[in-house]
Parts: sequence; C-alpha cells; structure tokens
Amino acid sequence: MTDATTPAIACRNLWQVFGPGAEKALTDALSRSGNDADQAATDLREHGFIPAVQDANFEVKEGELFVIMGLSGSGKSTLIRCISQLLPGTGGEIHVDGENVIGASKKALTELRRKKLGMVFQHFGLFPHMTVAENVAYPLRVQGIGKKERLARAQEVISLVGLEGREDSFPRQLSGGQRQRVGIARSLAVNPDIWFLDEPFSALDPLIRRQLQDEFLRIQATLKKSIVFITHDIQEALKLADRIAIMRDGKIVQIGTPTDIVLRPVDDYVREFSKDVAKGQHAKVASVMRDDSECGPDDPGLTTAMTLDAALAHCMELYEPVPVRDENGAVVGTVHPSDLAAALQVDDE
Amino acid sequence: MTAVTDVPKPSAARLTAGAQAALITVIVGAVCLALEGVAPWLVKWPAAWELPATQWVGAFLDWFLNGIKPAARLFSDLMAYPMNWANYVLGNTPWPILIGIVTALGWYLGGLPMATLGFLGLSFVLASGYWAESMNTLALVAVSVPVALIMGGAIGILANEIPRVKAFVQAVLDIMQTVPTFAYLTPLLLLFGFGPVVGLIASAIYAAPPMARNVMLGLERVEPEIKEAAIMSGGTRFQQLFQVEIPAATTQIMVGVNQCLMAALSMVIIAAVIGGFNDIGWEVLLTMRKAQFGESLMAGLVIVVFAVVIDRMSGTLATERKRYDRRVVWAMLAFAVIFTVAFRAWLPNPSELTVLDPMAEAIDSGLTAFTQANGPWLDALKNNSLFYVLLPLRIGLDQAVLPFTWGFQWTPAMSFGLFATGAVIALLMAWSGHLTGGLIVLILIGMLETGISNLPWPFVLTGAAALGWVAGGWRLAALSVGLLCTILVSGLWERALLSLYLSGAAVFSCAVAGGLIGLASAVWVPVWKVVRPICDMLQTIPLFVFLIPVLMVFQIGEFSAFLAICAYAIVPMIRYTRHGLVNTPDEMMEAAISSGATEWQIMRDVRAPYAAPTILLGLNQTILYAFAMLVIAALIGTTGLGQSIYLALGQADVGLGISAGAAMAILALIADRMVQGFAEERRKALGL
Repeated sequence: MTDATTPAIACRNLWQVFGPGAEKALTDALSRSGNDADQAATDLREHGFIPAVQDANFEVKEGELFVIMGLSGSGKSTLIRCISQLLPGTGGEIHVDGENVIGASKKALTELRRKKLGMVFQHFGLFPHMTVAENVAYPLRVQGIGKKERLARAQEVISLVGLEGREDSFPRQLSGGQRQRVGIARSLAVNPDIWFLDEPFSALDPLIRRQLQDEFLRIQATLKKSIVFITHDIQEALKLADRIAIMRDGKIVQIGTPTDIVLRPVDDYVREFSKDVAKGQHAKVASVMRDDSECGPDDPGLTTAMTLDAALAHCMELYEPVPVRDENGAVVGTVHPSDLAAALQVDDE
Repeated sequence: MTAVTDVPKPSAARLTAGAQAALITVIVGAVCLALEGVAPWLVKWPAAWELPATQWVGAFLDWFLNGIKPAARLFSDLMAYPMNWANYVLGNTPWPILIGIVTALGWYLGGLPMATLGFLGLSFVLASGYWAESMNTLALVAVSVPVALIMGGAIGILANEIPRVKAFVQAVLDIMQTVPTFAYLTPLLLLFGFGPVVGLIASAIYAAPPMARNVMLGLERVEPEIKEAAIMSGGTRFQQLFQVEIPAATTQIMVGVNQCLMAALSMVIIAAVIGGFNDIGWEVLLTMRKAQFGESLMAGLVIVVFAVVIDRMSGTLATERKRYDRRVVWAMLAFAVIFTVAFRAWLPNPSELTVLDPMAEAIDSGLTAFTQANGPWLDALKNNSLFYVLLPLRIGLDQAVLPFTWGFQWTPAMSFGLFATGAVIALLMAWSGHLTGGLIVLILIGMLETGISNLPWPFVLTGAAALGWVAGGWRLAALSVGLLCTILVSGLWERALLSLYLSGAAVFSCAVAGGLIGLASAVWVPVWKVVRPICDMLQTIPLFVFLIPVLMVFQIGEFSAFLAICAYAIVPMIRYTRHGLVNTPDEMMEAAISSGATEWQIMRDVRAPYAAPTILLGLNQTILYAFAMLVIAALIGTTGLGQSIYLALGQADVGLGISAGAAMAILALIADRMVQGFAEERRKALGL
C-alpha cells in the first residue's frame, strides 16, 4: 500500500439532490449560503428538495477497504450509487483512478464498468433466467468475449467463492448465502480494480453472514482490491474496515479507523453506535500508550497491536506501568493497567 | 422544519366534505323539481340548445378517413396475403394433423391434463360440424395476434424507454380500455371496407393494448438491483434491455400474450357482426337471428372450447416454467401423420359430420319444453323485474306506477308523501350523527321518484361534481362536469342517461349479489370451490356468447340485456371481494382473535375495512365490464348509447358511432376515476 500514488477513488464536494431541477437548485442554494454545506442543505429541504448526499469528501486508497456506515435513510446507498454512476451526481467531482467520472460520456462509463468496476447488491440482483455460470459470465458476454473463454473464467471465480458443482443451477434453486456467492463471483468476473459492495451480507442469517464475512476477508487478502463497502452494522464495519465513514442524514459525520470510531467518537450520534461495541475487541494498546519510560518491574509482554482485552488479560495482577513494544520488539512506551481498565469502562451516562 | 398541519376536527358548525357535497346536491335537485313547471329547460335540456356535434364529428372523420383511405386500403390488401395463407393452410390441413399438433402442444406446455384438454376440445369442434368455420376464425386469430403482439410489444418497450411517451401511452391505453368494442368498428369499416380484413385489423387493434400494458408493467417491475447489475456489468442499453430486462420480465409478458390472445379471439367473433364471412361468430349470429337456439348454443360452445383451450394453454406459459418431454411431442405428431396417411381415403369431411346434430335438436326441443312448462314462472320473473324494478328506476315511480301494472295510479300527493318520508328519515339520521347518510337516502328517494332517465341535468352535473370533489378533489370534479357537458350539448344526453340507468342497475345488482357471493366464498371454502370454476369460465367466454342463453330463455328485450350484463360483470366483484377478505394479514387476525372478537366481529371490524380498497377496485372493474357488455347487449335489445353505436355500425354513420362511443367512454372514464379516487383514499387511510 503506497500512499504516494493517486487514490483509487476521490470524492470532492459530492452532492446528490433529488427533485425536479435539482442541479440549478443546488447551485442557487450554495451561492445563497456562501458555500456553507449545512445551510445549503437546510435551504434545499425547505424548497422541497431532498439532499440525499451532502458535500461528501473522502478518498479511498489503492487496496484499502473503506466502509461507509449509517442507518437506513442516511444516504449511504445513494452515495455508493453516485460513485458507481448508477445515479448521475448533482454536484462535485468523483475521481476514479484520477479521472472525473461526473459528466463522463455513456460510452466512457460503459468502458469503465467493463474493465475496472465490480458491484455486489444487497438482494443479489441475479438474473433469474440465467444459470449460475451464465450469471457470472454475463459481464464478459457483454464485451463480446467468446463462450468458451468466458465460461472458463467464470469457472475460476465460481471456485474462488466455493460454488463448484452449482454452475448449472438457477438462482431460484440456491439459498441466500449461495446467491450472494454468485453475486460476488459475478462482480469479480472481469477482475476489476475497484469493488463496490452494497450491504452484501445484510439480507443473510447471522451465521451465514459471519461465514461470508470471513470468506470475504480471505478473498480480499489475496486480491487486494480497492473497496467501498456499505453496511448498517457497526460490528461488521469494525470487523472489516481499514477506515470507516459514518453517515447521518446525507452527511459524513466522521471518517476514521475502527479504533478512532470506538475511542474518539466526534459526537453523540457516533458515540451511540459504539456504545454497544465491546471496545476491548477493537481498540489497540497503542491508543492508551504513554510516552514516558518509567515502569514497574514486571513485563507481561504487551505490543502496540494487541487489543485492550488481550492486554488487560496479561496484566490482571499488576498495578504499575508496564512497557509496550512495537512489532520489532523495541520498547516504544508504557501502559498503566488502570488506563486499560478505564478505557474499557462502559459509559453509562 | 417540520410542518404539522392541523387536522380539522369534526364539529357541529363545520360540515364534512361529504355532507357539504350532498347538501348542495339536494338543494339543486329540490330547486329543479320545484321550478319544473315554470322552467322546463331546467329538467330537460332543450333540443334547440344542442349543437350538431355528431354531424361535425362525422364530417371531420369522413374527410380525415377519406384522406388516409388509400394507405389503409393498401395495408388491408397487404394483410389479405397472410390471411389467405393462414386460411389456406388451416383449411387444407387434414383434421387429424391439426388435432395432433394441438394435443402435442398441450403436452409440451402442460403435460397430460393439457394434452387431454386440447384433444377433447378439438374433437368436440370436429364433431360439432363447425370445423371449417372454426378454422376460418382461427386463421383470423393466427394473423391478428402476431400483429398485435409486435405492435403492443413495440409500444410497451418504447414507452419504457422514453418517459415522455410513457405518460401519453398510458393515457391512450386508459381511454382505449373504456371505448366500447363496436365503436372501433365503424371507422374501420369506412377505411377498409366490408370483409374479413376489417375483423382482422379490429382485433389486432383491440388486442394490442393488453400486450403493451403488460410489457410496460413487466419491465417496470424488474427488480431495480437486476437492472443495476446489468448496468454495472457494462452492458449497453440495448444489451441491458434484450439480454436482461425483457427475459427477467417474461412472466408478466406472457400474461400479456395470454390476454392478447383472448382479446383477439373475442374481437374476431364480435367483428362477425359486420362481415358475412363464413366464421364461427357469424354462425352464432345467424342461428340466433333464426331463433335456432340449439345450433346457436352449439356454435357458442365451439367458441367457448376455443377460448378455454387457448386460455389455459397460453396461461401455462406465464404460470409454469416446466416443459414436458419433447420425445412425446414428436411421437404424437408422427402418429397424427401416420394416421392421416393410412386412413386418408376414409377420413370424413368435417363439415358433413352430424354427430352432434341430434344434441342440438334435443337442446332445441328441450328448451321449448322447458319454456313452455315454466312459462308462467319465467314470465312472472321477467315482468315483475321489469315493472317493479327496472321501469321505476328508468322513468321514475311517478310514471311507472300505473293501474295496469301496480293496481293504482301515482298521484302528486304520493310524491309529496314520499319526499316527506325521505326528509323525515334524513332528519332522523342527521340527528343521530349521520348527516351525510341521511342526505344520500334523500337523494336516492328523489332519484327513484323521478327516474334516472328523467333526472334534471343540473342535478346530474351537480351530483357528478359533488362525487368527483369528494373522491378526487376539484380537478376530478371539473373533469367530470366538463366531460358530461360535452355529452349534454351534443344531443346524446338522453341516451347517455338511459345507458347510465341500465348499467347502473346492473352494477348495483352485481355489487350486492357479487359482494354476497364473494363474502360467502371467503367464509366457506366449499362455496369457493364451486364458485371459482364458474368465475374462471365466465371470464374466459367471449362476450358475445353470453347473449345466447339469456336469449333462449327470456327472448329479446331489456331484461335479457340486463341479465347478460350482470352475468359478465359480476365476476370481478366476486373475485375482488373474496380476495380482499381472505388476504387480511394473519397478524391482524391473530390480534383480533386474542382480543376476544367473535367471527362476525372480526369480519365487520377487521376484515371488511381492510378489504375495502380491494373491493372498491372490484366494483371499478365491474363498472367497466358492464359498460363493455352494454354495447354487445345492444344486439338483443337495449336503448341508449349502445343501441346508437350498433345502429351507426349498420348505417356506416361514423359521426354517430364515434360520438356515442366517446360518450360511453366518458361515462366509463368518470365512473372509473371516481371509484379509483375512493379506493385511493381508503388505501391512504389504512396506510397501504
């Protein structure tokens, strides 16, 4: 992962407003409010428009798993549809591999989708009249790739998602989990650089969901796609994400690593989400580490990447600061066991 | 900024919208009646004020149709080729091969039951001796259906692709649904001349809308995520449409194919009215005119058999995905060919088959015996219905009550007494908090006294406006009044009221009877088991065939027409009532049961209110069906617009035909919008 290259996706001041004549209304509202996004959004609402995405700004780095989380109606689905250009976008810019796709020609978009984008849908979006293999091979078929070649490639991705033997089944003959595997396979058929997943596991049972999440992480570990992943489930977000963007009423309220979201929520809305989360499983020792070198005689062997839960288990009997090492074994700071306990305290006010 | 609108609280000082509307209607009606002596123009629109709109329409259409006549004639000449081929092929294929093909097709689509249906159905046609006529009819269908499918499909796809076109197409389809079938025929007659091609074109035009509608609906209903998946796969619009959206919409499109086939068959048979073409519809008409009811029924049964076979077979296209073994198909076809070759010399000419002739004669004599034996009873039924129900509705108690029928003469004092009773009922109801209901009772009593065909025009306009306003606001009220005014000034008013009376009486009877049957079907499963196949049957039978049995028993006249309309229009009322009542969500039922409600209380307080919007939609369908049948029923004796349309057809009077057709469409359209408005309001109130 090199930060020096251009980001895979970059959104700048992205707006999606619904209503007749939205484009002009947005320009007017922005000029009236002096480019203040919040004011402009209020203004738009008062005039009967729906600002579903307001002034979104973020970047997804190459190979990064970027999760957008929010409750239903928070605009997260709209946002991913803007980026994938299923919706046109009312204002702002979306750069995919450095090129602005807003206002791009139909032909250019089709080409982009054929080569670089893949998308997985909440309710799978499988074609009911095609078999598993035909579904998976469809993105290759539209490019005019021959039957033999495209079915061979389909076979590869079908094995990748563990559906060997079901190639000739129809979607209606599959379980929910299997259907989503087909959806995932289809989205990977053209080996895209950028992978959109719109609540891919929300329609599934908890057990199947966990299983698919693990498999998804396994696939991502080998493929290293740049991913935009939508979910309404904080646990899922924390489990999968490199970084999380939290949305509320069309606005991105916080972007940060899972630890940031859990330990440093920017407002009550975000805090409310992380309240139910067992912090110890997500926050790392690094987040409570101090720089001073004074420590007690004991060394339980803490590292920066350890979770708080694991760290606390190591110093149950200790009352003095202990040293913390980085991955190379060098001491980089200390942690006081009472800080660990304090960080794990559940806020109940 | 959340704006909370105040909900107006009902209070004694403020009348509800319904009460206001009813009150205004009552006042206008009272004023009209009171001033009848002074200003007769308030009741009857003077002939001097009528515009010769019918002639204008006629003149314009004559000019227009003559303009495009060469193109039309060219088209009809072109259509004559495929029709002649189809005729030749169907007419000259030996009958065992055709039966074999239909049986094999039945097997392929639906297995043994469907194959049996196809085999028995066509065998009956063969035995009836109407084989040649049937093949002529089938040839018309075989050519008109592909034309309708292509036209309808293209229109549906176009409307789906271009949003602007969609609204327009939707509006045109809505109007076409309300314009009666015969009204299409007159201008077509002028354009294409007499002959089978007119029937072909009429049926293609008539059958295209259901296809267009279902294609639009199907494409619209494809899951958004499937459409998005096609886009994200990088398909061009063309690829998205033809590789993903249309195949994904197949089920709905097949429903369209089924409806298209049935509409084409129905219209081909109706079109026999204009052409002495040797087909099965013509056979029915001919035998009916000669009062050979046995033969007429036999020919009618042949039509029904065709309708059932075509409907059930094309229905499996939409409902069943499974297809059956092709080897059996080939075996059946091979057997048919071998049979034909082997017995070629001994195959009887199907037209000379008389196997079922004794049956026709038996029916004829049986019928005669039946009507003779039950004559007094049947006559009593007919006359009582006519004199004590239909006639008072039509011309009012003040004219219908005569010593000759009722045994006494109606006097103005009686009118006064009736109105006084109505007023007392209204006051009592208002006093107990049902002001609107009381006013409506008063209005109905007034209408009964006056008779629908004698209603003062200001009263009708006000009533329509009031209903429109309550159902759909000012816009619907204005639309209703505006459209009714065009009928008023064009001189078709009286005929429109007559049509309104007959269809109104039929709709009312259907609503009551159909509602009760639907209720019984919802409560007792055995009832539904009996009613359901009857409903299926009634909906499959082409309109025309309804006329035969009523005619057999009750002869020509208004009562027969009334019965035919009821028989056809009652089905949706039954179906929707049952469907609405049966589909109460389980949770609601369980909540009611655990609250300790009895069966009856659940029905009254939970199921019926929940079903109300659905039942209203059923009523809406019933109204449209009644109008559709009204025109066909003109063949056996109705007055009003239906008769005008039929007469216009006979005289090739395009102006009258189109104007009367338009007037009919206007009535249907207004009724449709109003009932839809009420249904929509109920749905909103229930949060559906």
